[in-house]
Amino acid sequence: MSHNHHPTVAFKINAGPLPPHPSPQMEIEVSSFGGGGGGSHSGSRMAEHGGSNEGGGGGISMGPSPSMKERASYLVWQDLRVMLPNSGDGPTKRLLHGLNGFAEPGRIMAIMGPSGSGKSTLLDALAGRLSKNVVMAGDILLNGEKKKLTYGAVAYVTQEDILMGTLTVRETITYSAHLRLPPTLTKEEVQDTIEGTILEMGLEDCADRLIGNWHLRGISGGEKKRLSIALEILVRPRLMFLDEPTSGLDSASAFFVVQALKSVARDGRTVISSIHQPSGEVFALFDDLYLLSGGETVYFGEAKEAIEFFADSGFPCPIKRNPSDHFLRCINSDFDVVAATLKGSLRIQEKREESDPFMSLGTARIKATLVEKYRWSKYAIKARAKMKHLSAMRGPVTMPSTASQAAWWKQLDTLTRRSFVNMSRDMGYYWLRIIIYLVVSICVGTIFFDVGTGYTAILARGACGGFITGFMTFMSIGSFPSFIEDMKIFTRERLNGYYGVGVFILSNFLSSFPFLVAVSLVTGTITWNMVKFNHGFSRFAFYCLNLFGSIAVIESCMMIVAALVPNFLFGLVIGAGVLGVMMMTSGFFRQLPDLPKPFWRYPVSYINYGSWAIQGGYKNDLLNLVFDGLLPGDPKTTGKEVITKLFRLPLTHSKWWDLFAIYALLVIYRLTFFLVLKLKEKLLPILQSMYAKRTVHRLKRRASFIKFPSSRRYQNLRTLSAREGLGSPVP
Amino acid sequence: MITNKGSSNSEAVMMEIEANKPTGNGMVVGGLSPLSETIWKEKTSSDMVGDVSARLAWKDLTVMVTLSNGETQNVLEGLTGYAEPGTFTALMGPSGSGKSTLLDALSSRLATNAFLSGNVFLNGRKTKLSFGTAAYVTQDDNLIGTLTVRETISYSARLRLPDKMAWSDKRALVESTIVEMGLQDCADTVIGNWHLRGISGGEKRRVSIALEILMRPRLLFLDEPTSGLDSASAFFVTQTLRGLSRDGRTVIASIHQPSSEVFELFDRLYLLSGGKTFFSQAGFPCPALRNPSDHFLRCINSDFDKVKATLKGSMKLRFEASDDPLEKVTTAEAIRALTDYYRTSQYCYLANEKVEEMSKVKGTVLDSGGSQASFLMQSCMLTKRSFVNMSRDFGYYWLRLVIYVLVTVCIGTIYLNVGTSYNSILARGACASFVFGFVTFMSIGGFPSFVEDMKVFQRERLNGHYGVTAFVISNTISAMPFLILITFISGTICYYMVRLHPGFVHYLFFVLCLYASVTVVESLMMAIASVVPNFLMGIIIGAGIQGIFMLVSGYFRLPNDIPKPVWRYPMSYISFHFWALQGQYQNDLKGLMFDNQTPDLPKIPGEYILEYVFQITVTRSKWIDLGIIFSMIIVYRIIFFVMIKINEDLTPWVRGYLARKRMKQKSGGGLNTTVAPYGLTQSPSLRTYVATDHRKR
Repeated sequence: MSHNHHPTVAFKINAGPLPPHPSPQMEIEVSSFGGGGGGSHSGSRMAEHGGSNEGGGGGISMGPSPSMKERASYLVWQDLRVMLPNSGDGPTKRLLHGLNGFAEPGRIMAIMGPSGSGKSTLLDALAGRLSKNVVMAGDILLNGEKKKLTYGAVAYVTQEDILMGTLTVRETITYSAHLRLPPTLTKEEVQDTIEGTILEMGLEDCADRLIGNWHLRGISGGEKKRLSIALEILVRPRLMFLDEPTSGLDSASAFFVVQALKSVARDGRTVISSIHQPSGEVFALFDDLYLLSGGETVYFGEAKEAIEFFADSGFPCPIKRNPSDHFLRCINSDFDVVAATLKGSLRIQEKREESDPFMSLGTARIKATLVEKYRWSKYAIKARAKMKHLSAMRGPVTMPSTASQAAWWKQLDTLTRRSFVNMSRDMGYYWLRIIIYLVVSICVGTIFFDVGTGYTAILARGACGGFITGFMTFMSIGSFPSFIEDMKIFTRERLNGYYGVGVFILSNFLSSFPFLVAVSLVTGTITWNMVKFNHGFSRFAFYCLNLFGSIAVIESCMMIVAALVPNFLFGLVIGAGVLGVMMMTSGFFRQLPDLPKPFWRYPVSYINYGSWAIQGGYKNDLLNLVFDGLLPGDPKTTGKEVITKLFRLPLTHSKWWDLFAIYALLVIYRLTFFLVLKLKEKLLPILQSMYAKRTVHRLKRRASFIKFPSSRRYQNLRTLSAREGLGSPVP
Repeated sequence: MITNKGSSNSEAVMMEIEANKPTGNGMVVGGLSPLSETIWKEKTSSDMVGDVSARLAWKDLTVMVTLSNGETQNVLEGLTGYAEPGTFTALMGPSGSGKSTLLDALSSRLATNAFLSGNVFLNGRKTKLSFGTAAYVTQDDNLIGTLTVRETISYSARLRLPDKMAWSDKRALVESTIVEMGLQDCADTVIGNWHLRGISGGEKRRVSIALEILMRPRLLFLDEPTSGLDSASAFFVTQTLRGLSRDGRTVIASIHQPSSEVFELFDRLYLLSGGKTFFSQAGFPCPALRNPSDHFLRCINSDFDKVKATLKGSMKLRFEASDDPLEKVTTAEAIRALTDYYRTSQYCYLANEKVEEMSKVKGTVLDSGGSQASFLMQSCMLTKRSFVNMSRDFGYYWLRLVIYVLVTVCIGTIYLNVGTSYNSILARGACASFVFGFVTFMSIGGFPSFVEDMKVFQRERLNGHYGVTAFVISNTISAMPFLILITFISGTICYYMVRLHPGFVHYLFFVLCLYASVTVVESLMMAIASVVPNFLMGIIIGAGIQGIFMLVSGYFRLPNDIPKPVWRYPMSYISFHFWALQGQYQNDLKGLMFDNQTPDLPKIPGEYILEYVFQITVTRSKWIDLGIIFSMIIVYRIIFFVMIKINEDLTPWVRGYLARKRMKQKSGGGLNTTVAPYGLTQSPSLRTYVATDHRKR
C-alpha cells in the first residue's frame, strides 16, 4: 500500500508551479490513466493500443494522481543532426541525418536499429549527454520550450551497471535515497519511497541479497539492471532514458526489465529506450518504435503499425518470424557484407534466395526504399502533425532535476556510512591488506627480533625503520582495484549530480579512517614489541601515529593516481613508480645531504612523506640510546652521534615537527586529489568542445559542409575498454 | 529425441529430407569447399583415408553433479538422441537447462565432480572422446591479440600439421580455411586486445572456429557460438557452421536465443528444459508473428513463471490480457504437457529407432585429431609466435623497458658519480640493494600478459595442440631477447651514471647479474601465474614473496644477524637477492680504496668493508654467486612445469575422488536426493564448475 505515497512524495519533490494553461491534449491523456480500464488515447492511432494494454490490469492499476498532470513531459525533436568532426582533414562523420520525432508521457518508445545505426547517439543527443567532441544541430523541445537537458537533469540508465558490489539491493536504494531525497521528507516517507520502489521494480525477492562483485556471487544481470532503473526512478523523474537495458540478459529477465519499464511509463512518465534485438515478447511491450538505419529514420510511429508499414512497402514480415528481427534484417547493411563474403568464399547459400525473394535486393536498397516510402507515408504525416501540435503547446517550464536535493552533511553522513559498509565487506579493500600487514610485521619482527644495542644494531635499527616506512606502505598498491571501482561509482554518481567532489573526498577519508587506524595499530604493536624499539608509551604513540600518517598519505597518493589513470595496469605501474621514487628520496637508500640538490633534494624529498617519517622515526628511536663500539674496547656511541654522524640528519627540530609535516602533507595530498577531480571535470569538456568548435569553424568555410560522406559505421564514442568491460584486467 | 523443427508435418518431412541428403548429392557438392577435403586426403598418409564420417548417438544419458555440500543433483536425465554427418544440430533451451552440460558430456569434457551414466556411441562404438578427437569451440575466444588472423591460423597449422607436409600445402590449407570461414577481408587485421582495436566479435568467433576446423575434424562441438554477437555476425557464424556440416561433418552447437534468420539455418533441433527433452507441438501453437525459437523457449522457460509471479506480487504492474495459451498455464505445466506429448509422439519413436540403428552399425574408429607436428617443430613455432606477440604487445615488455629506463635514470641521477668517499660506502651498498630489489620488483608489471598467455595455453592444451614442455621452453626462449635488451639498457645507464667499479668485466658482471635476477623474478611470476586463480592475488602473492626475499637478502639485516632458524637457513639461501647482493658487493667493492671518516685516518680497503661492514663471504668467487642465480632460473622453470602438470593431472583426480567419496557417504545414508524433475527449475549450470576448473588448469 506504500504506493499511495508515491504521488505525494513526487508532489513534494516537484512542487513547481502548475502549468499555466494545460492543453486539451494533456487532459485527455491523463483521464485515460485515471480510468485504468476502458480509457483510450486521443487520436485514432491510440485507440487499439489503449484498449489492449490497459484492459488486463484494470483492477490493480494505480492511476496517477492529479500531480502527474503537471509532471507530464512531451519531448519533441526536429531536424536533429549530429556530426563527429574527424581529427585532421579527414571527413566529418554524420551520425544522425535530420531526425524528427516526439515522445509522449505514458508511453514507452524503443529506438531500434542495427549496430552503428545511431541508436545511442540519438539517445545521448536527446538526453543532452553527447560527448563534447560531437556537434549537434536542430531543436529539442521539452513541452514546447527549447530546453537544454544536461547531466543530472533527466534520468539516464547507462548500459553498464555500475553498482557497489558489497551492498544489498535494499541498502543500495536506501543510500541513494538518503543521498538525493530532500530533507523535508519524514523518515516514514523516505522508507515508503524506498519500499515502493523495490516493489515497483519487482526486487522484493532479492532485496536483501548482495549485488556481488568479482569475488562475490550476487544477484543476476536482470536484477542488476532493474536495480539501476530503481535508482533512477527514486526521485520520480518525468523523463527517462535507457541505453540498451536488455543487452546481455536472457529472454526472461529481458522481459521482466521491459515489463518494469512499462509500468514506469504507465505512471505518466516518458520513457525512451534504445534496444538491440529484442525478442518477440519484449518487442510486443513497446508502444512506439523509432527505427534507425545509418542515422536516418526508417520508421517512426506506433510499434504495432510498423508491421503494416513494412508490408505496404513491399517487405511483409514472413510468418513465424519476429517482427523486430524482420525489421532489422531488412535494414542491417551488415548482411550485405555477409552475403558478399559468403559468395566470395565459394559457399553460396543453397536456396535462400527462393525463400526470401526480396532478400536478393540487398539491404542497402531495401533501406533506401523504406526511407523514401516512410517519408511520404501516412505515419510520417501523422507524426508531423502531432509534432506541430506538441511543439506549439506550452507546458510547465520548470524542469526539476534528478540531482540531489539533500543537504551536504546528510550526503556526507550517508556516503561515509555507505563507503564504510563497502570497505568492511569487500575482502580486497582492507581485510586482505590487514592480513598481509600482519604477516609482514611478524616477518619483520622475527628478523629484527630483540635488536639490542650492539654495534651492528645501529644499522639494523635504521634498516628496520627504513623497511617499515618504505615497504609496508608499498602494500597499499594491493587495494588499487577497489580504488578504481570506487572511482567508477563516483564518476557515475557525480555525472548524475548526486553529490559534490568535496563530500566524496571527505567521506572517503572518514570511512577509511578506522581501517587505517587498525592497520597501523596492528603493524605498530607487533613490530614495536618484537623488535623492542626504545621503550616508553609516548614513543610507542609516536611510532603508531607516524605509521598511520605515512599510510594515509600513501593512500591519498594512490587515490590521485587512480583518478588520473585510465586502467588498472597503468595505475599499478605508475603507482609503483611513484612509490619507488619516494622510497629512493626518503633518506634511507641515499642519505639526504647526498641527494642531488636540484631536483631530488628540493622539492622531491620535501614533498615526500618518507623523509619526514624516517627523520621522525630515527629521532624517536635512537635519541638517548647508547650503542657498543665496533670492538669490545671501543668507546660507546650515543644515539645523538648516530643520527648526526652516521645518518647525517639534522637535530634542529623536534620529532613532533616531523610528524606535523606528514599530517600537513596528508592535507595537501587530499586537496590535490580534490583539485585533480575538479580539473578533470572542468577542463576535459572545455578542451573537447574547443576542439569541436574549431573543427566546425573550419568546416563551415567549406562549401561541401552538408555533403560529407556518411559512414556506415562510425567509431563508437565510448572507449574500447569501457565497451568491452576491460577497464581492469581483474576478472 | 531429435525433433525436426517446424510445426506442420509436411514441413517437417521436407526438412528431414533436406537434412539427410547424401553427401554425394549435387546440391551439397556445390556447397562443399573444393579445398577442404581433397588436400587433406591427398597429402597425408593413407591411414586417414576411408570413411571418416562421425555418427554420434547417445542413449539414456544422465549426468549427476555432486555439490560442495554433498548433495547430488541430476543436471541431465535420460536423454537420447543422435547427430549425423552432414547435419547441423542445435541444442536449445533456457539458461540453466543443461545445454552446455550435454555438450560437455558428449565431448567427454565434464568436470570431474559430474558423473555420467548412459552410453555415447561414436560410429557404433562406445567411446570416450579424448582431447583432440573432436573439435570443441568454447564460448570465450582466447586468442593472442597481437597476431593477425592469418598469422593466428598459420601458426596453429604449423603447430599441429605433420612436419613432412610441404609448406606450400600447409599454406594452401590455411588459405582455404580462411576462405571457408569468410575471413578473407580481415585476414591481415590484428585480432586486438585491451589496448589494440582489432576485429569484431563475430570475426573473433569465426577465427576460433577456423582454428578448430584446421585439422578437418569430423565432429565439431560448439558452445554458444553466437552469444554476444549482433544479428548479422550471428547469422554469418551460423551460416559458416552450416556450410561446414554440408561437407559431411557432424556439427553440434548449443545456441541461446537465436534470431529468426539464425534459426532457419538449423537442420535439427534438440530442445532441453531442466535437463529433459521436449517437443513443442502439444497444444502450444506458435503465434504468427513470432520466431519459433523464441516461442519454444518461452514455452519451456520456467523463469517466466517466476517473473510472472513477481509481477503479480508487485501490484503496480498491470498485466495485459492476451489470447496466448501460455498466459493461462504455468510453464511447469506446459513443460509436463510437452514432454508427455513428445514421449508418445512419432518423432520420439522415429528418433529412438534411429538411435538403435546407429548404435548397432559399427563404423570406422576415428583417429585422435591432436597435434601431429614433432616436438621440435612445436617448440620452434611456439617460440616464434610468442616472440611476435611479445614484440607487438606494448604492455608485455615495451612498457616495462620505458619504466626501467625511467627508474634507472632516477637511480643514476640520485647516485650520480658515487665516488669513494666515506659516505659512498653505504651509498654503494644501498644502490646495489635498490637496483636488485626494486628494479626487479617492477617485473610484476608483466603479470597481466602472463595471465593472458596462460589462458591461450590452456585452450590449446585442452584441444591437444602441444605439450607443456614445448610451452615452457618456448616461453623461456622467446622472452630472452627482450630481457637481455631491457637489462642491458638499464644496466648500462645505471652503471655509467653511478660509475660503479671501473672495468669491462665488472660492467659485464653487473649487467649479467641484473639479467639473471630479472629472469628469476619472471620465472617466479610465471610459476605463480600458473597457480593463482586471478590477477590481483597473483600480484599480492608475488609482491609478498619478493618483499620477504628482500628482507633476508643481507642488506636490511646483515647476514650474520639474520635469525638462524628460518630466515638464514633456508630462506636467505632461497632468496635470489641474497646471491645477487653477495656477487655485486664483491664485484663493486673489491679492489677499491675508500676514504675514512676524517682525512688523517688511513684509507679503508674494499675487502675490509666487505668482510666486516657488509659481512660478505669473500672466499667464494662472485661468478659462483652468478651461477647460482642462473641455476635458480632453471629451478623456477621446472617448478612452473611441475605446477602446470599438477594442475592438469592431480587436481581433477583429487576433485573426482572427493566427489565420489561424498557420493558414497550419501548413498550409504539413503537414496540419493535427486531433485524431483519438475521441481528442478534452475538446475545448476555446470559452466560454473567447468569455468573454475579451466581457470585453475
